[in-house]
Amino acid sequence: MKTLGAGLVAFVVALTLAGAALAGATTYAGPQQWSQNQGAGSAFSSSWKYNHFFKNGSGYDTTVTFIDNVTYSWHATVRNTSSVTYTYWSVSNVKRGHCRANSAYFWGSCVVVN
Amino acid sequence: MVEVRMTRRRWAIVGAISALATAILASSVVAGQFRAPDPEAFHAGLATGEITRVADIAAGDGKPARGVFVQATDTGQLCLWDAPSASSQQRQGGCNSVDDPLGGSALSASLAYQGGPAVEDVQDARLIGLVSRDVATVQVLMSDGTQRDVRLRKATLGSNEYGAFGYRFKKSDLRGGVGPTAVIARAASGDEIARQPTGIGG
Repeated sequence: MKTLGAGLVAFVVALTLAGAALAGATTYAGPQQWSQNQGAGSAFSSSWKYNHFFKNGSGYDTTVTFIDNVTYSWHATVRNTSSVTYTYWSVSNVKRGHCRANSAYFWGSCVVVN
Repeated sequence: MVEVRMTRRRWAIVGAISALATAILASSVVAGQFRAPDPEAFHAGLATGEITRVADIAAGDGKPARGVFVQATDTGQLCLWDAPSASSQQRQGGCNSVDDPLGGSALSASLAYQGGPAVEDVQDARLIGLVSRDVATVQVLMSDGTQRDVRLRKATLGSNEYGAFGYRFKKSDLRGGVGPTAVIARAASGDEIARQPTGIGG
């Protein structure tokens, strides 16, 4: 029974990690179905440059931004309904990627890239 | 008796694990219907294709001018972004399929801003977009009910004609916590053709 439980835990961990991408890119939310006003954030890092919201189509209103770890202000924010919403902020500040769904019932994932 | 109790408990555990595994598998099957593009491939795509400057964002309030660019990538994306120049990496915008550049609407707009999320803290806010050729005017609806007219410029992309725009909000536009709430596209008759919600802090 213990073996079965351990196998199940390993399976869940593998499923979770399967969403994460390759070196340089980190999927910090999804793929998942989004609710209106739902948000997500990546870990803080000084190396993030790009932030994306990849969606399963056009017409879904989303926002991507970077949030610094000093004033928690938003930087290089972009909001649109394109199938990919993306931004770029190349400063050495420590920041995290943040994404937000302004509409509901779509599939998507948020990815930061060095 | 003890043996019977153990067997029931064992079956209960097996049942619970089976239910959990089924739920996980079902969710992964649904999630499998959407596959996010490889971000590195996406970026490689942004280095390809022709870039066309379709509109300008004038300098103002101490901020430098920027351009509005459309890029049809070799990977089948049509991307709309604003940046200081065509070669700049400081691109902020979005992409749709090249087969459906406006995403099934007559209007595809993108709001970009620095600062916030409170409107009072925004230092630079810009609106860019593309509209179908039957759109005659574009207005931005503000949260106080007023509207801002956005100048449209003709843009030819491939064999198709569009309207393109780039607009920088003035400091006075964002005074007192007032911000944009929607972009409205109208026909020459004044009838509304398309409306896209937008806003700062959301």
